[in-house]
Amino acid sequence: MNDNVQHNTGFWAVARRSLLQIVRRPIYWVGFFVLPLFCFILLSTLMSEGLPVKVPAAIVDKDGTALSRNLSNTLAGMQMVDVQYTPDSYTEARHLMQEGKIFGYFLIPENYESELLGGRAPEITFYTNMTYFVPASLLFKTFKATALYTKAGIAVNVINSVGVNADPTAMLQPVSITTRGIGNPELNYAIYLCNSFAPCVLQLMILLVTCFSLGQEIKYHTSTRLLSMARGSIYRAIAAKLLPQTIIWWVMALFLESWLFKWQGYPVYGSWFWITMSELMFVLACQGFAIFIFGILPNLRLSLSVSALFGILSFSIAAFSFPAQSMYPAIGIFSWLMPIRYNFLIYGNIALNGLPLYYSRVWFAIYIVYMLLPLTVLWRIRREMAQPVYAP
Amino acid sequence: MKKIFSQFIDVYLREFRLVSKDMGLILFFVFLPLAYPIIYSLIYNTEVVRDVPLVVIDHDRTARSREMTRMLDATQEAWVIGYANDLPEARRAMAQQDAFAILEIPEGFERNIGREEQAKAVMYCDMTLLLRYRGFLVAATNVMQNMSSDITIERIDNIAPLATTVAQGDPMPISNISMGNIENGFDSFIMPGVIVLILQQAVILAIGMAGGAKRERPELIGYNPVNDTKSVAVTMLAQMGCYITILIVPVIFLLHYVPLIFAFPMAGNNLEIFAFIMPMILASCGVGFMLQGVVRERESVFVIWVVTSVIFLFLSGLTWPRYAMGPVWTLISDLVPATWGVEGFIRMNTNGASLAQVQPCYIALWIQAVVYLALGYAVQRWVVRPAIRRTAAARNSINAATQTQQSGETVLNDNA
Repeated sequence: MNDNVQHNTGFWAVARRSLLQIVRRPIYWVGFFVLPLFCFILLSTLMSEGLPVKVPAAIVDKDGTALSRNLSNTLAGMQMVDVQYTPDSYTEARHLMQEGKIFGYFLIPENYESELLGGRAPEITFYTNMTYFVPASLLFKTFKATALYTKAGIAVNVINSVGVNADPTAMLQPVSITTRGIGNPELNYAIYLCNSFAPCVLQLMILLVTCFSLGQEIKYHTSTRLLSMARGSIYRAIAAKLLPQTIIWWVMALFLESWLFKWQGYPVYGSWFWITMSELMFVLACQGFAIFIFGILPNLRLSLSVSALFGILSFSIAAFSFPAQSMYPAIGIFSWLMPIRYNFLIYGNIALNGLPLYYSRVWFAIYIVYMLLPLTVLWRIRREMAQPVYAP
Repeated sequence: MKKIFSQFIDVYLREFRLVSKDMGLILFFVFLPLAYPIIYSLIYNTEVVRDVPLVVIDHDRTARSREMTRMLDATQEAWVIGYANDLPEARRAMAQQDAFAILEIPEGFERNIGREEQAKAVMYCDMTLLLRYRGFLVAATNVMQNMSSDITIERIDNIAPLATTVAQGDPMPISNISMGNIENGFDSFIMPGVIVLILQQAVILAIGMAGGAKRERPELIGYNPVNDTKSVAVTMLAQMGCYITILIVPVIFLLHYVPLIFAFPMAGNNLEIFAFIMPMILASCGVGFMLQGVVRERESVFVIWVVTSVIFLFLSGLTWPRYAMGPVWTLISDLVPATWGVEGFIRMNTNGASLAQVQPCYIALWIQAVVYLALGYAVQRWVVRPAIRRTAAARNSINAATQTQQSGETVLNDNA
C-alpha cells in the first residue's frame, strides 16, 4: 500500500473489515456454518437406516381357512412388511389406516378357499395409503408380489394336475424385463437426495447471507464508509467485501463434496477435477446471482424476501424430485433460472453418469453468465451505497 | 379484571396498527400463505410423470420384439422416441438428455419364447430423478406381465385345452386400490403437508420479525417501548389475538380453498380440521415468541429461520416415514409443531379421519402449545422486554446527547 494513501483503505482493508464483521456477529456464524452443517447432517443421516423396511400393515382374513392362512403367512414372511394387526372387517382396517397405525391392508374375501378350488375366481384386493409415497410404494410392491406368487403357485398346480410338466418360470413368465439403475444400482435414496438437496441448502444460505451482508451496509449507513475505504470503486468494494465470504463458502462447498463423495462414498464415475470446479463455480454463481438480486432491489428486506423466495422455491422448481419436462411448460422454464439447476445437471452428468465434460459445457458456461450478472447492476448498488436510505 | 380487559384491547388494537405499517409483516402474514401454496401447487400440478422418452435397441427385429416396443410406447409412463443401432448410440441419446432410459432386446428374443424358455430384455434407466425411474419400472412391469399372460394363455390353449380356469380367465384376480391420494399424484401427495408447513412458518417468521422490529427501531413503526408497562401475559394474549384475527382468512384459504382449487383429496370435516389446526397455530406463536429472544433485528429472521422449512419438511415424515428415522431425529421431529400438524392434517384431509382418530397428534399439539407459550412467556418477560427497554433507554440518551440515529446495541461495529 502506498504511503501517500491512508492506511485503512484499499482492497485488503475492506476485506479485513468484512472478515471482522463476520467474526463479530453470531448471526453470520449461524448462517455460514451452523445451519448448512445441520442440514448436511440431517440429510445424510436421516436415511442411514436404509430403505424403510417393515412397513406396518394389516391382513383382513375373512375366510379363515387353511389356504387363506397360508397366504397370510406368506405375506407376514415378506421382508418389507410388518403385519401388526389382523382386524376382522374392512371398516376396522380402514380405521386403523386413518389412525395412522398402518399404511395399507390386504383383504382375503369370504369363501376364498372354496371359490378358488371350485374355479370361481375369488378376487384378492389390497389397499395402500398413497398419501405417504415411500411406504405405500414399498407396501404395494410387497402386496403385489405376494398375490402374484400365490397365483403362480395355483397356476402351476393346475397345469401339473392336467399332466403337463413345464418349467414354471418360463411357463408363467415367458417374458422378463430387468430394470437397471445406471450409477445407483442399489436404488439408494440418500445418494439422490443428498446430492440435490444439500447444494440447494448451500444456495439458499449463500443468497440470504450475501444479500444480508450487503443490505446491512445500507441499513446502518456504513456503506459510505465502505465506498471510501474502497477508494470510491464499487468493483473493489464489492469484490473485497465478498472475498472472505467466498472463501468460507468454498470451504463449505469442498467440505460438502468430500462429505458426500469421499466419506459417504456416493459415486463419482466422471472427473473429480470438474466436479470440484463445478462446486467452486457454483458458489461464485450463487454469489453473482445474489448481488444481481440485491442490485435490482437494493433494500435489505426486499432483497432478502426475493432471495428467500428463490432459495426455497429452488427445492421444487429446480426439478430434483419432479422432472421439469413434466411440469407445465410455462412453469418448467423457470427451473433454468436457478444456479442449483446447473449444479444438479453437472452432478448427474459427471458424477452419476460419468459423462465427459463435453455434455456439461453449456452448464459451466451458464455459471460464468451468473458470475458476470452483477456487472449489469453494480451502478445501481453504487448509487444506493453512496446515499443509503433504510426503509423497513 | 376490567383493567386487564382494557389492556388487552389496547394491545390488540396497537398490534393491528403496527402490522399495518410494516410491509415485512404483511408479506409474511398475507403474501406467504396466499401466494406460496399457489406457486407450489402449480409446479407439481401436472401430478404424474407421463411419456418419458426412451430409446430402443432391438437386436432381434421380430414381431415379438416390435410388439414389446409398441406396448411400452403405449404405457402412460414411457414414450419410445426411436431405435438406436447399438449401445454407444443409445448412450449418446441419453447423454444429450434426449432419452432417459434404454431398452435393449437381445437377439433370439422371439426364438426363446418359441422354445418355451424365458426371453429376457434389459432396461437401463437414468437415476438422477427417482420419479422417472419409478415410471419406467411401472411401465416395464406392466408390459412384462401383460405380454407374459397373453403368451401363457396362447400356450396353455395349445397344449392343454382342459385347463379351463387358467386358460379362460384369471384363477385369482388381484386388484389394488389406492386410498387417500387415489390418482397417486405427486401434487396431492406433497401439497397437503406443505400447506401446513407454510402456515407454521408464516406464523413463526411474522412473530420473529415483529419482535426484531420492536427491538431495533421501534419509532419506525410507531411503537413506544418506554410507555409500554402492560403485563407480559396480557400483551402476549392480545398479540396472539391480533395475529389470529389476521390469519383467519389466510388459514381458511390455505386449508380449504387451496385443496379445492387444485383438486387435492378433501375427505375431512372442515370444522374438525380447523379445530385441529388451532393448537398448532398457538404452538407456532409460542415458538415465534421464543424466537424473538434471538432476533435482534427484523431482517435476521430470514437468515436464521427460512432454511428451517427444509429441515421441518424432512422431519415431518412426509417424504421419509418417521418410523424409519433414527431415534435422535424422531425425538427432534417430535418437538416441531408441524410434524404433528402435517400428520394429522393429512390423515383428516386426505384419508378422511375424524378428530378423534388423530387424537395422539391433537394431544401432542396442545402439549406443545402450552409448553411453548410458557417458554415464550419466560423469554418475553426476562429477555425481550428488558432488551427493548435497554435499547430504548440507550437510544434516548444518545439522541439527547448527539442527535444521531444510531443505537448502542444494534449498530454494526465498524472497525476501522
